[in-house]
Formats: sequence, structure tokens, C-alpha cells
Amino acid sequence: MADYIIRRLISLVFVLLAVSAIVFAMMHAVPGGPFDTQQGHLPPAARENILRKYGLDKPVWQQYLNYMSHALRFDFGIPYQQPQTTVAALIAKTWSVTLQVGVMTIIVAFGLGITAGKFAAYHQNSWIDNLVTFTATLGVTVPNFVVAMWFILFFGVARQWLPVGGWGVSHCLFGSWFCTDWILPVAAYALAPMAVVARYTRSSIVDVIREDYVRTARAKGLAESLVMKRHVLRNAQIPMVTALGTEIPNLITGSIFIETTFRINGLGKFFVTSTLHRDYPMIMATFLLVALLWGVTYMLTDIAYTMIDPRVRLGARGEGHG
Amino acid sequence: MVRPAPAREKTVNGLVLPDDAAPYSEQVLRLPCDNTRNETTFDSAVTIYQVFGCGGNLFGDTLVDLDKDFTPRPAAAASWSVADDGVTWTFRLREGMMWSDGTPVTAHDYVATFRLEATPEHGWDFSWFYTALGDGGIANWTRVVAGELPPEELGVRAIDELTLEIVTEGFFPPFPGAMKFGYVLQKRALEQHGPFYNNDPATSVSSGPYILDEFDPGNRIILVANPDYTGYRPARLARIEGIYMSPATYFIAFQTGEIDLVSDGALTPTDFISIDRDPVLRDNYLRHYGDFRTDYILFDTFNPPFDDLDVRKAFAFSVDREAIVRGVYGEIKAMPAHSMLMPGFPAADTEGTLAGFQHFDCGLARQHLAAAGFPGGDGFPGLEMWLRGEAPALAAVYQATAASIAQCLKIDLQVSNKDGKVFMDALNARPTRLQLGAVSYGMDFLDPANLLGAWVSTGRHSWKNEAFDQAVVGASRLLGNPDRRLQMFRDAERILVDDVGGVFIAHRWQGDLFKPHVLGDSFRQPDSNGVYGRHWGNDWFWGDVYIGKRE
Amino acid sequence: MASSSTARFGDTGRALDVIPTEHRSFWQDARRRFLRNRLAVFGLAIVSCIALLAIFAEFLAPFPYDFARFDRVLLLPFENTDHPLGTDEVGRDYLSRLIFGARTSLMVSLVVQGIAVLIGVPVGALAGYLGGAFDFVVSRIIDVMTAFPSLLFAILIISILGGGLQTIIVALSITGWILIARLTRAQFLTLREQEYAVAARALGVPVRRIIFRHLLPNALTTILVAVSFGIPATIFAEAGLSFIGLGINDPMASWGKMVGVSNAYVRVYWHLALFPTLAIALTMLGFAFLGDGLRDALDPKQQSQ
Repeated sequence: MADYIIRRLISLVFVLLAVSAIVFAMMHAVPGGPFDTQQGHLPPAARENILRKYGLDKPVWQQYLNYMSHALRFDFGIPYQQPQTTVAALIAKTWSVTLQVGVMTIIVAFGLGITAGKFAAYHQNSWIDNLVTFTATLGVTVPNFVVAMWFILFFGVARQWLPVGGWGVSHCLFGSWFCTDWILPVAAYALAPMAVVARYTRSSIVDVIREDYVRTARAKGLAESLVMKRHVLRNAQIPMVTALGTEIPNLITGSIFIETTFRINGLGKFFVTSTLHRDYPMIMATFLLVALLWGVTYMLTDIAYTMIDPRVRLGARGEGHG
Repeated sequence: MVRPAPAREKTVNGLVLPDDAAPYSEQVLRLPCDNTRNETTFDSAVTIYQVFGCGGNLFGDTLVDLDKDFTPRPAAAASWSVADDGVTWTFRLREGMMWSDGTPVTAHDYVATFRLEATPEHGWDFSWFYTALGDGGIANWTRVVAGELPPEELGVRAIDELTLEIVTEGFFPPFPGAMKFGYVLQKRALEQHGPFYNNDPATSVSSGPYILDEFDPGNRIILVANPDYTGYRPARLARIEGIYMSPATYFIAFQTGEIDLVSDGALTPTDFISIDRDPVLRDNYLRHYGDFRTDYILFDTFNPPFDDLDVRKAFAFSVDREAIVRGVYGEIKAMPAHSMLMPGFPAADTEGTLAGFQHFDCGLARQHLAAAGFPGGDGFPGLEMWLRGEAPALAAVYQATAASIAQCLKIDLQVSNKDGKVFMDALNARPTRLQLGAVSYGMDFLDPANLLGAWVSTGRHSWKNEAFDQAVVGASRLLGNPDRRLQMFRDAERILVDDVGGVFIAHRWQGDLFKPHVLGDSFRQPDSNGVYGRHWGNDWFWGDVYIGKRE
Repeated sequence: MASSSTARFGDTGRALDVIPTEHRSFWQDARRRFLRNRLAVFGLAIVSCIALLAIFAEFLAPFPYDFARFDRVLLLPFENTDHPLGTDEVGRDYLSRLIFGARTSLMVSLVVQGIAVLIGVPVGALAGYLGGAFDFVVSRIIDVMTAFPSLLFAILIISILGGGLQTIIVALSITGWILIARLTRAQFLTLREQEYAVAARALGVPVRRIIFRHLLPNALTTILVAVSFGIPATIFAEAGLSFIGLGINDPMASWGKMVGVSNAYVRVYWHLALFPTLAIALTMLGFAFLGDGLRDALDPKQQSQ
């Protein structure tokens, strides 16, 4: 296993290199640069000079090598959007907030979602099941920026029960152990993942309930609950882990809609605004971060498969004719 | 027993607050900052299009300010005059202005700022302005920006500590108005910390009415009144707090009482319904000209199909401006436009004589299209009208315009709301790659030379008309006969409208919604046309606004 | 496939069902099972209705989707009898736009999900089943594509290929297959170790047969669930692109775009948000029930029910 992990981490490095090259190339291929102005064009001399100042006049491959040589020393440059700080500092500051939001959302979404999904699966095809499916559908159908606005208008304006924005700034109880301005953003953000979690949980469990060996076990006379626990859940977890594993890196990198609408100064918005503003250093850093997070997530889910189902062999050769 | 009247409080600059003012500790103005925009600096001299929406340009005074009628009035410059040669302007700085680090403000600071703006390496995004001014541009500006001359050759120099001399390229009487853009950065701070020195309270230096107290990008900005300020607009406020939020939630934050001011750009049609239904809100929405902004369609007139005047005229006559303004735009936000200059602007067509060239007449539009060879729209190519990253409410207006054209002329016209940079990239390409687009343009200073100058063939529009160019340039240069000058501009506008350089859709009314306790003559009193509101360029607003006693 | 006359391994309690009453093929069985499942039929009905709306939009919609009247802007439902669902912010009939929107949204989401399945399922299946170097390479490609800059890519290809539906589909498909590939791979990693798979391998059954006949049906549920989620996800991804000028142009209608635009008006004009949301929800439900029903009908372990 340790061997496997080391091999995966090494391959992750190559993945990061590939991602960096792709993003860098695409970034420079897209029309419109970071210093193109709103009104008249920048006079050619000014444009040349500012490009030279930021090293953007060199050939793209040379800029790439320059960037990578700095990146390997963990110098990710200075964001064009906030020239008084560094990319690393900006990410550190904003990501800590996004992580808080994300972790809370994960707890709520997974907790409620798995419970609902299990409930629906064990009462398969009853009205309970249909209700859960229906609610889950709605949760995933309404995009989170719409939900966010509805929540704010209802809970914050029509009935002034909850604050409409900020994170950890207002109405904190027990000395910022719990802030009421966490409620709306987490609720809005958790709705869709909760629905996804519930659906996948339900379908995975339903699937396995029908497995032959479950029937066999039942026929052998094992107590019902033991049947459920030992066989059903274990095998239901594989697709669940895959789908839910996908949700986690999504949630901890944040959502631009939740963050801008609820005034949360997080990292989520930079994934979009950096592209729109052509902030090259931030674009590179955010995508490398994403690649790193997902690579690690995939590795962990693969390892999780082996833990759930010991028969799974990773990296093994297939037998029989190929 | 008669209680003595409470002592009227003083500000940190020693000003006495008005009778109806709240206690000084309550003199806090809370503003919304846009958390989606790309904003990098407090100073327009660094980048004018990426200045912080809250707190920008309060760390220094420009040479000239504008009064409610857009007439230049003294700001950092106490007076100015022009020599007999007509091109040498002398600005005498107000005495006693100080930086917050104890050093005096001198003409050298202004010179250093102009030179910075012209330095090619700095890449100032407003550097096109002095070139576009033509005769009104600063001498050698274009050549310095092009890198042909060093910044020291710029036509700006300090005669002494308090006297600034600026030489223009040619005769340009309205030049003082252009010195609204005469920003100042501290020469020493520039040399020590570079142009972004104001982004950190530790290195920030201010000669303006406020100083930087706290700067947490993405969260908030806090300015406090500058106790050492000796300029023309001492603050009545004690603090300004800027809170970052999404423009979609500005009005919501206003309603929950978290901010005191929302501008029309962030108000949606449903917000205006709420405003209209509430008498208090209605009374406190103060509408004004803004920058006399006009929405219009532009073409690439050098290539088919818009190289044909009949096609352009067909477009001009097929837009039902009145219905669009009434139904889609909202009369509170706009008025129909038949030309570039909004009524209220000098040389504007207040009688509507230019409407004959651009108004809604579908029959006439179809005739023109048939004359161009596309009877009933047959054979006319399918087109895509590009927008520049517009918000939904404005996108709806342009979509309505396109629908009006398509339905009248029976052509296929689609609208694409492009990423801003992609749009500008296509527009500014030479030759332009933007065949058909819809944008808006507002003034940079109050003179037809500015708004009509934008249409001159060397500008950003792909349209060329010799007679127009001559009329505008000639009028800009004319000295000593203001009436004739305005008439020349009117004639030029007539050419623009008749030759359909653009199809004009609407003039915008801008406005601000204030909390009732936000007071100040700068916006609560009308201008000479009876228009209230915080007029564009009234930077003395920041020394005038104060918080009133709340009932 | 085995006919119902063959006894099933483990089916010890159902001996009587083994006696065939008539000769039926697997497909007839499947169809019968499907039609007896009320929810499945309901799902099929919904999907068919929406498909019909999409196909025959020109005949079913009361107005053209781009016809605007500026004196009928933002009408609430039934404010004007011509417009039972109201009008939008440019003065166009909302019901008509909803109907035409079905065409755009359905086309984009079905094609993108179709491509996702066509690419993702075989890739994931082979990766999970074969393991080894093949799995390694495929997994690394997946790693890289997950961090793919979709927004940049969308801006880029639209600037090259121009706007329009095909470009949008390409932009959305480039990364749309990843989740399905990963889900399929995960399923196959475990399924290949089931006793019958091991047995089949030992017996020398060809890989293709094992994958398609034996293992794939068991992975079907997860794939169908992923597709049923993928449809609204694609609709909204397309809406997101539209916001930054990369999606379909106006005046073309799509449900996702209609929901997105509604956000600015939702305080008063609730109908702008409600109807397209319901439409998307209904579509997703329809596909969900249909998918569940298909899985149940085709499930070889279900034949005695």
C-alpha cells in the first residue's frame, strides 16, 4: 500500500505538469489580455512596455519555463487583481474562509443526504421513497444562485430572521463558536450536494438489496439487520464513495455564487474572476490547486475502494484475453 | 430651567456641523463595494478603470472640481489663467495643502503625477484621453506615451512650489474642465513605494479629506477624516465604511439598513417598483444627468452590409425607442435618443429637430432596406449584435432594440452578450472585427468636443465622414465666439445623425438612492436646471455630505 | 439471454415460476416488467411529452419565441389572456419560450450526456476491468481533464468556431464524460471480482462478453443516476456560459438561461423563475423515473417479479 501511494504521488507530479502546460497555453491563446483597456486602446508603446514589465512580451514557452521555475520554488507570483499581495498569500487568506464554508456544507449535505437516502432505500417504492426522490430532484434542479437569492429575500428581508451576508461577522453566539450568518450560505450551498448524496445513496443501497448473495444470506437465515449491515452497506459504498468523493473537492473550493451573494471573502470567486480578468498568475495557481486537490481525492477514493471491498485490486493486471 | 442648546460639534478639521447633524460619532457613511469587479487602486492616476468604487480618489485633490452646472471651480488650484499665446496655462495651487506625513503639497507632486501617467511603462489606461483631446491635449503627450520622448519633455512643469505650468497642443478654451483629471500622487511615496503605495495603510499618504484606516480587500475599506487636511473640501463625515458585496444584493443591504446609498447601476426594474411604491424611497431617489450617457448601436461601416447608408437608415428607422423606453428600459432610467447629445448637454438638440433623421417609422425603414437591395428582408445576411458584458436589465434593453429591428425589417438578428475583454479586443482591432455592436458612452468633460470627438474618424468608431471631422475639429479650435462654436457642433451632430454613424437608442438618467438621514446641499439642492442629485464630477460632495439627526 | 424457463442460481424459493406458461423472449419480459411499473411509465410519459414539445414547438407554441411587444413587458400569468404564463423582460410570451426552450435544453443536455456515456462508459469499464497500465493511463488522463480549464476553453473555442449550439455542445462535452467514466471504473473494479465474473474468466469467456453481457447491467443503475443528474447539470452549465456571452445567443430560449435571468426580477416577477425551474425539475424527474424503470426492467435478477 505504501508503495502504491508513493507511485500515485509521483504520477500526481506529472499530472500537475500536464495541467500547468495546458492551462498556460490556453490562457495565452484566449483573446483579450489582462491589460487591455475598457475604452480606447492602450497606445502601442504603452502596451509594449506594460507587457514587458510583466514579462508578457516573451514567447509563450519561455514565459512558461519562467513561471514553472518560480513555481517549483513556491513563488507563484503577484496577482494582477491585487498587486499589493502575493498569490500564495491571497490564496491562503481566502481559502481559509472557503474551507470553513465547505467543511460545514459537507457535514450538513452528507449527514442529511445519507440519512435521507438510506431511509428512502429501505422503504423502496413507498411514498417516502418518492418524496425523497422528488425533493432531491428539486434540490438539484434549482441552481444555487437562485436558491441563495430566495433565501435572502425570505429569511433576511421579508422576515428579518437571519443576516443577509458576511461570514463570522454578525450575530455570533458563544463568542464566535456559532454565527447565525453561517446558516443561509451553508443551507443554500448544501441543497444540491445533499440531493446528489441522497440519490446515490438510495440507488446504491437499492441495487445491492437485490443482489443474489443477499438473498442467499437471507435464505440462510441471517437476521435481517445483520444482512443489511454487513453485506448491503459495504457494497453500496463503492459507487457512493465515487460520487461523493467528487463532491468534496467541489465543496472545499467554493462557489462564486454563494460567496459573492453572501459577501463571503473566499477563494471560490477567483476561479471565475481570474479567467474573466485574465489574471494569469491567479489562473495558474487556482488550476494547479484544483489539480492537486482532485488528484489527492482520486487517490484517496481508490484506496477507499480497497478498504471497502478487499477483493478489489488496484494496479493489477486483468486476466483472460484482453 | 432653560437648558442651554447643546454645543454644536466640530469635525477633526475644526468645522462646525450643521444644526440638523447627528453627533460627530455618528457621522459614518456606509457604501457598497462591488466584489466582482476588477479593482486594484485608490488612485485614478494609476488606473482609472480599476479604481475602488468606494473610497477612490479621496487621498488627494484634483486641480479643478466641477460645480453643479459642470462649470470648473477651484479645487487644489486656487486660480488659473492662460497666457497670450493661448496654449500656456498657469495653475496656482492653494496655499497650505499638506500631506498626511507632514510634508507640504507642491507643484512637483502634480508634475510627477502627470509624468507617471505619460510614462509608457506605467501603461495608464486613460492615456488615450489627452491624445483624443487633440488641441486640448498636453504638449508632447502623445510622443511621450509612444516612447519617442522622455517624460521630462512633457508640457508640464513646476515654476515654483505652488505654481504649475501646463502647455497644450493648441488653442483649447475648455482646457480647465479637462483638469478635472489633474490628479496628484506624492512624488516621494512614488519613488519609495511605487504607484500602489496607497494600498497599505502603512505606506499610504493623503492630501485629501480622508486617510486610509483599514484595507481588507474583498471584505471592507475604512477611511477616516484627515485631521491635517487644509484643502477646499474638508470632511463633515468622521468615517466612510465600504462593505464588499454583490451588486445584486445592494438594494437588499440598503433595505436592511446596512448601507446608506445605492446607485442606479445596481437597481433592477423590481427595485424601482419597490422605490416607486414607497413615498420615502421615492423622495430619496435623486435623479441626475450623470455623465450624459447615451446607448447606441455601432457598425463597421467600412464593410458590407453597413457600408450602405440605406441599410443604416433602415436600422435607424426601425427602432421603436419610445415603446422600448416606456416598456423595457423604464422612464425613470432613460429617455429616447435621436442623437448623441442628451438634452441638458451643451449644443444638444433640445427641440427635437434631429429626430427627423432617426425615429421610428417602420414603413420608411422597409423602403430603405428595399432600396439597399433587400426587399422584405430577403437576402439580408443573418447578423449577430455584440454586447459588452452587460447586466441583465441593460441586456434586455438591447435585446428589445434588436427585436424591434428584426421584427420591422424581417431580418435575422441575434444578440450575444460577450465577455468584456473579447468585445474590446474585437472592437479595437485594426481593422475592426466588430461588425455590429451596442454600447454606451458618457462624457469625460462637459463639452461637445468630447462626446462628438468620440465619433471623429481617428476614434474608436468605424465610421468616417470628412465633413463631420472638419466641423468638430474646427469647432473645438474656435476661440472667442461661443455661440458660433455651439452652432458648429450642432451642425456636426446633424451630419452624424443623418449619415447614421450610429443608431441612437436612449439617453440615461442616472441617480442615487439615499437614506433619508444622508444630507448635503451638493445633492439635496438642485442645479440651475432644477435637477437634484449628486452630479457627475462633484467631488466636493465628499466634503459636503453629512449624517442628519435620525428621528 | 436465458429464457424464463431456466432456473436461476439462488432462486430456491421460486420453483413454481420455473414452469413456463409460454415462450417469451427477454425483451418481451423486459417490456412487460416496464409497463407494469407505474412510475416508469409516468417517467416515459413525461419525457415523451417534453420531446414532443421540443420537436413540434413551432406548431404548439402560441407565439414565435422571439416575438416581442414592448407594451406587454413583464406581465404576470393571466394578467393578459393571450399570455397564460406571462411575458418576459423583453415582452415575449413565456409559454412559447418555455416550449422552444425545451428544444434547446433537451438537445444540448441529451447530446452532451449521450457523448458522456459513449465515451465515459467504455473508457471507465475497460479501465476498471483491465487494470494495469491501461487503468493507469486512463486514470491520469482523467486526473488532468478534471482540472481542465473549461471556462477558458469555452472562451477559446467560441472565439474560433463562433457561437451556436454545436460549439456549446463541444465546450460542455470536453469534460462531461469524466464523472461517468469514474463511476463506471469504480463499479467495474469491484464487479470484476464477483464470483461469476471470476468464473467466467476462468472458463475463457471473452472480455467483451463479460463486460457487456454480465458486468455492465450491474453498473447500469449508477450510470443512469449519473445521467439523470447530468441533464439538469448540463442545462445549467449552458446557462452559465450564456451569462458571459458564450452560450446561445438571444433571442433563442433555453430553460437554464431563463432561470438565470430571472434572478434579477424574482422579487416581483416570480413567474420568470418558477416555470423554467419546474420544467427542468419535471424533465429530470421524468428521466429519473424512466432510468429507474429501465434498470428494473432490464435487470436479469428481476425476472420473477
